[in-house]
Amino acid sequence: PFKLLGILDVENIPCARDSVLYGSLGSVVAGLGYFLLTSRIRRSCDVGVGGFIIVTLGCWFHCRYNYAKERIQQRIAREGMKNKILYESTHLDPERKQSNSSN
Amino acid sequence: MAYPYQLGFQDATSPVMEELLHFHDHTLMIVFLISTLVLYLISLMLSTKLTHTNTMDAQEIETIWTVLPAIILIMIALPSLRILYMMDEMNNPLLTVKTMGHQWYWSYEYTDYEELNFDSYMIPTTELKPGELRLLEVDNRLILPMETPIRMLISSEDVLHSWAVPSLGLKTDAIPGRLNQTTLMSLRPGLFYGQCSEICGSNHSFMPIVLEMVPLKSFESWSSSML
Repeated sequence: PFKLLGILDVENIPCARDSVLYGSLGSVVAGLGYFLLTSRIRRSCDVGVGGFIIVTLGCWFHCRYNYAKERIQQRIAREGMKNKILYESTHLDPERKQSNSSN
Repeated sequence: MAYPYQLGFQDATSPVMEELLHFHDHTLMIVFLISTLVLYLISLMLSTKLTHTNTMDAQEIETIWTVLPAIILIMIALPSLRILYMMDEMNNPLLTVKTMGHQWYWSYEYTDYEELNFDSYMIPTTELKPGELRLLEVDNRLILPMETPIRMLISSEDVLHSWAVPSLGLKTDAIPGRLNQTTLMSLRPGLFYGQCSEICGSNHSFMPIVLEMVPLKSFESWSSSML
């Protein structure tokens, strides 16, 4: 697998590819924008690298948070489907318990 | 399972290993960004003609490069501690299996209901059937029910060994005179391989562990057939 800097497997780690791509875009926008405003080359490069780090980190945490929420919802749905299949029409049916408690 | 020239983790089969993979991704991204920053700073230092030899103090930068690493360490430590405590949770195991390390094989005992125990030796390379894995296959696999919390009690009859199954995120030392406990739960059926992880003599590399996770009914019929 291809690894950025030899360590980050952007193909297989969820959210890695998107974060690095958005980070690169943010880096170019920030660096180029700073250069167009100030014409300072070295400082624009610094702003570009800083922008890359901040945008990558921000996208990473946002994406991973949503991914974690999705995984939890998938787990709940999987458990719910399994329980429904196993216990439908028995006294352990979760839907029967809910309708009993609402009655 | 493992493949040649593998660098990363195997796919996770237990919830704890899934959490460990996510933690590893999180930490690796932080490491990647720090490496990018350091590489950039090195390239700046190598490409500048400026020199400055009479700096007396630099309060702002010193504050930044003290506070920022502290924040980064906290961002790494909090998920790490969460997983550490999660690994120690007791989750009402339905089955207890004991494994004893020997030179150079593992023995397994299922003593909850009846006495069932057997040894698990590596299959020598010359006796492998086509398609079997070299240095990983055993004559008697540890067969366990899937999606069931299982307590493993691990010890040794002679020297130090270590019972490890990477796909489940398990590695527990087998220490003579001591009983170590770990819990195991597999989310999927299948075969999961591991190897002894503590140097124990000349055949340390030749005492693998193979877990065969099967549905509960298959486990029940297997254990009845073994008794």
